[in-house]
Amino acid sequence: MLRRRMGYADPSSGKDILGNRSLCFMFLCAFGLVTLLQQILYGKNYIKSAQQFSRLKGDETGNWTGPVNFSDDGSLKPARNGRKRCFRQNFQPDSQISVIVTPCLADIKKKKKRYLESYDGSYEYNSTACRELRQEIMDVKVLTMVKTSDLFERWRNLQVCRWEQNKEEAGNFKMSLSRCCNAPSFLFTTKRNTPAGTKLRYEVDTSGILPITTEVFKMFPDDMPYSKSQYKKCAVIGNGGIIKNTKCGKEIDSADFVFRCNIPPINEKYSADVGTKTDLVTINPSIITERFQKLEKWRRPFYDVLQNYENSSVVLPAFYNTRNTDVSFRVKYMLDDFDSQRGVFFFHPQYLLNVQRFWAVQGVRAKRVSSGLMLVTAALEMCEEVHLYGFWAFPMNPSGIFITHHYYDNVKPRPGFHAMPHEIFNFIHMHTRGIINVHTGPCT
Amino acid sequence: MLVRCYRGKLSVWAAMCVLVLCWFYVFPVYRLPRDKDIVDEVLRQGQVWQKNQTGIDFFRKLLTKCCDPRRKFAVTKENSPMGKVLWYDGEFYHSHTVNNETFPLLVKDNPLQRPLKKCAVVGNGGILRHSKCGRDIDQADFILRCNLPPLSKEYVEDVGTRTHLVTANPSIIEKRFQNLLWSRKVFVDSMKVYGSSYIYMPAFSMKTGTDLSLRAHYALGDASSNLTMLFANPEFLLTVGKFWKARGVHARRLSTGLFLVSLALGLCEEVTAYGFWPFSVSLDEQPVSHHYYDNILPDKWYHAMPEEFVQLWNLHKSGTLRMRVGRCSSPKGGS
Repeated sequence: MLRRRMGYADPSSGKDILGNRSLCFMFLCAFGLVTLLQQILYGKNYIKSAQQFSRLKGDETGNWTGPVNFSDDGSLKPARNGRKRCFRQNFQPDSQISVIVTPCLADIKKKKKRYLESYDGSYEYNSTACRELRQEIMDVKVLTMVKTSDLFERWRNLQVCRWEQNKEEAGNFKMSLSRCCNAPSFLFTTKRNTPAGTKLRYEVDTSGILPITTEVFKMFPDDMPYSKSQYKKCAVIGNGGIIKNTKCGKEIDSADFVFRCNIPPINEKYSADVGTKTDLVTINPSIITERFQKLEKWRRPFYDVLQNYENSSVVLPAFYNTRNTDVSFRVKYMLDDFDSQRGVFFFHPQYLLNVQRFWAVQGVRAKRVSSGLMLVTAALEMCEEVHLYGFWAFPMNPSGIFITHHYYDNVKPRPGFHAMPHEIFNFIHMHTRGIINVHTGPCT
Repeated sequence: MLVRCYRGKLSVWAAMCVLVLCWFYVFPVYRLPRDKDIVDEVLRQGQVWQKNQTGIDFFRKLLTKCCDPRRKFAVTKENSPMGKVLWYDGEFYHSHTVNNETFPLLVKDNPLQRPLKKCAVVGNGGILRHSKCGRDIDQADFILRCNLPPLSKEYVEDVGTRTHLVTANPSIIEKRFQNLLWSRKVFVDSMKVYGSSYIYMPAFSMKTGTDLSLRAHYALGDASSNLTMLFANPEFLLTVGKFWKARGVHARRLSTGLFLVSLALGLCEEVTAYGFWPFSVSLDEQPVSHHYYDNILPDKWYHAMPEEFVQLWNLHKSGTLRMRVGRCSSPKGGS
């Protein structure tokens, strides 16, 4: 201190503190610390996933990241996996896709039995062949354990079996869901589960807390409009490009309750594939922000879009973060202004958090579960039988043909936000266990 | 240290003094007649009024030369094509370029082309209360009102029912309708009183007003209301402001009433003004509320209402427009 005041500085004093050797030591310490932290944070997975990633990189990622031109009309380009593939013309009268990529004949011969030629659902659920096929899928414990092409093959093979609900498995699953999430009373914010004066915590922690004023409270429904296992057969429609040209419209419309995500177009161009019946449709506030200027300007265009979904209710994740709240409330106000009888509901943030936690245990780890998964979770509690259409998050369909990202466009989502492939993998497992029915092929 | 500081203070004071002097030079101190004097003069004048056709024509020519209300009073597709820069008249150096978002909102052509015969400009002065002027006002061909006044049953006798043009201040939308961001039904419903009239909004006067005015347009359009939205042309407002400033109205901004009177004088053959009375006592020395519907006093330094009244009274005396102050007992009213 004295020296500094005198205006002198020892030229060698700095060198002692940050000498070469001490720098090296600090570096080593930092490296060790980081490695240790990673070990603690990611547990065993750290090393394991790194290995898996490298393998994935070796022969799989070519499919995912390569410059692939997605043409809208379902390009007939086969997926190139670095593995020898054979093309076979497949003359199926009612399917639009004429080229199916199958493993080479030599490959097939090596394996025991193939059911490619057989028709969808021709085998009984409980036949030994089907059990074997199901076991094949259940053997795949983690998505990255096998190549996706391998998984696709197993999935394709399973299509020959008729799906049947496994009462025991489904019952157990629903039980665990009602224990964690309890959709019949907590799916939406209602006057009952969110009394006025509650301090509602946003889903994203940093967004803080919203006190429920009487103004907000007035917008809530009196009670949950749906009860447990109210509907027999439900259909949840994803927006994946897989649904294109499946002609599933009629089958979907025959369901008792139809869920849709993110106000998809259901006009004549698509209705043959996706149907028109809608009972519940989610809206992502970001859509309103981008396409309808937060409803601060014209509101009629948005109202007209909603008119396409005849009697459906609208669900918004209003309490995800603060940005969503105003926009979501505006939807309610707008519909009231137009004297619409349409129900407007807001997802309960605690329910979504519980759902997220539930799926994280099942292996879907993402910043946020997709709205499709939310709806499936809710549907599992509300319905006896849940059918999934249009859920497929891979760049090609099970036969290896490239598909668009959505059935109406090919806009890719923000990377790293949702973990779609993991969700789909979960659905495939659940299909195999007989809990839900995932439709990926054309409907008959 | 002290010396330097002192010197700094001195220079600041000097600059302030110069500024004040400049201020006095630009806006010289003037003396307005006291309220009592004005009332006395109005009483002396009585109900007598002589129409002066040459005065009317002369004044219209003056207005047309400076401001051209017939073509310029609103922003139309004709006078503001795409890419036209609108300079805000109430802001310092701020402009809006007509783009493909605002352009479709404008009216195609000036809707008030035809020469109008009898116009009535209805101010919101408290003098209108119990004046029974409703019938007189309704007889006019074109009725202009200021700032979305209430026309409920209570007031019909005094202010009439018909409206052809009503101005709306963006600040009203902000205060009464929560910026139109939430429910818009209240707004649309409250506008039904004005039938199928024009709503005249100064969208390009203040920065904050633009969004609000456009939003009002969106709200009315969504509800497919039969009101037509007109956006005030900032150029017109600016030139009218200058016109009156040259005639001795010193205020930050003219009142809406004076804008409407200027507009009416430029468009109509005969103009009658009702409810312009910015004083707190009526002719018979009774206290008068500020508006006929409430008594909320405005910001004192913003508008110069008494000056405007004096100007209008001068026009009344010269027979250019008719001011109706006090009661209209319609059968005898024409005397």
